[in-house]
Amino acid sequence: MSRGGARAVIAGAGSTEFSRHAGRTELQLACESISAALDDAGLRAADVDGLVSYTIDPVEETELVRSAGFQEIAFSSRIPYGGGGSMGTLQHAAAAIAGGAAQVVVVFRAVRARSGASRFGAAKTAASPTSSHSGSTAMQWCMPYGVLTPAAWMSLNATRYMHAYGVTSADFGRAVVQLRAYAERNPAAWGYQRPMTLEDHQASRWIAEPCIRLFDCCQETDGSVALVITSRERAADLPGQAVSIGAAATAGLFEQEIASDHYRPDLAVMDGSVALGRRLFDRSGFRRDEMDAAMIYDAFSPILLMQLEGLGFCKPGEARDFVADDNLALSGSLPTNTNGGLIGEGYIHGLNLVLEAVRQLRGTAVNQVPGARQVLVTASRTGAILTRD
Amino acid sequence: MCPHCRCLEFEVAQLSGTGTLYSYAVLHHPRNPAFDYPVLAALVDLDEGIRLVSSLVDVEPSGIEIGMRLQVTFAPAAGDRLVPVFRPAEGTR
Repeated sequence: MSRGGARAVIAGAGSTEFSRHAGRTELQLACESISAALDDAGLRAADVDGLVSYTIDPVEETELVRSAGFQEIAFSSRIPYGGGGSMGTLQHAAAAIAGGAAQVVVVFRAVRARSGASRFGAAKTAASPTSSHSGSTAMQWCMPYGVLTPAAWMSLNATRYMHAYGVTSADFGRAVVQLRAYAERNPAAWGYQRPMTLEDHQASRWIAEPCIRLFDCCQETDGSVALVITSRERAADLPGQAVSIGAAATAGLFEQEIASDHYRPDLAVMDGSVALGRRLFDRSGFRRDEMDAAMIYDAFSPILLMQLEGLGFCKPGEARDFVADDNLALSGSLPTNTNGGLIGEGYIHGLNLVLEAVRQLRGTAVNQVPGARQVLVTASRTGAILTRD
Repeated sequence: MCPHCRCLEFEVAQLSGTGTLYSYAVLHHPRNPAFDYPVLAALVDLDEGIRLVSSLVDVEPSGIEIGMRLQVTFAPAAGDRLVPVFRPAEGTR
């Protein structure tokens, strides 16, 4: 997909509340967010003929079709790579629309990452729906050594990154302070009215030393996000304000694991993001310096800095200066994760970042970038550029 | 399967048991009862060019340095099995 060729648009977006105890099933959460997204789009359940979610989402299609009142599904797919695949949902949906496989595609993710049977950040000790986002190599090669959690897997990469470029925990902390400042003003966020200073960050306990403190971690959140994707022509007849999927891409590389990505030659570089940046920008005709805001998958703060470099917004090792110079702020060159990110707002496995991108392009964000027209949404190896026409 | 030639045959090879610390993390939380904390998780580049996830023994967290030379040893894991772990190589510290 390249610039000017966008045929698919996000016509509606919706979510449940984000909490630590939803008190209802993922199926119910999905139905609620989908209803909200359809209302937002001005469409009915019977209009939906396509479904896209994540391979590890617990909501099963036939149950969802019945509960949500869909009548006839013409296309359904699921994306691999766990949260790193988040934005692949947009690519699948856009391809289905462009190819004529479906007319109205619902993208959804429903999680009980905090109150569910297995907390998302907890130790994975056996195959389970929430361990499958690690890939099978993690199970075989990490478990015998107590490397059991997403934080543990990623910390091995993050320590190498710190070593390669002299990055410190405070460098990560400065990014978290910015995210929490955004979240502090966002009523939907876990971090709403919960200010956090760099001193607070540096005083928070180690999860994985020397790279991941408690406040470097995203939330474990219950909730659901849904998006309604349709064609530009169909959206023209709808009351809501659609945003275009200007480009969408995936880059999955040889010997690249999911969260336990330990086997690429240079782990100080997220070369999945490098490859994604090439596909998103260099092949699409969009330029990095045209991005009015970016939503970047921040499961843990180190990977936020590493993706800024991988995507090409700064050179290797320079993300810490990019952050320290306030480039992630509304006044900076790349306002980033303006909802507070997965760290400050909540963790609907990345899809709430798309919700924020839609708000920015509609001009309805709490932390609004004035006149935002192009917003990047990305999750390590998948991404999209959303635009306001 | 070999990712380069799709061959399914394999043989057991004796390695030197030496390598270099590529990266590490001192894991504090969450804790699983099967392990002693903090866990000294490591990525070890074996001299033969293979990278392993493993853990470090016979070293304090403050003594861990990326690039340090390592020597394999074997530690008990679940089910009476042994897994390769690494300690600082003799004469390097």
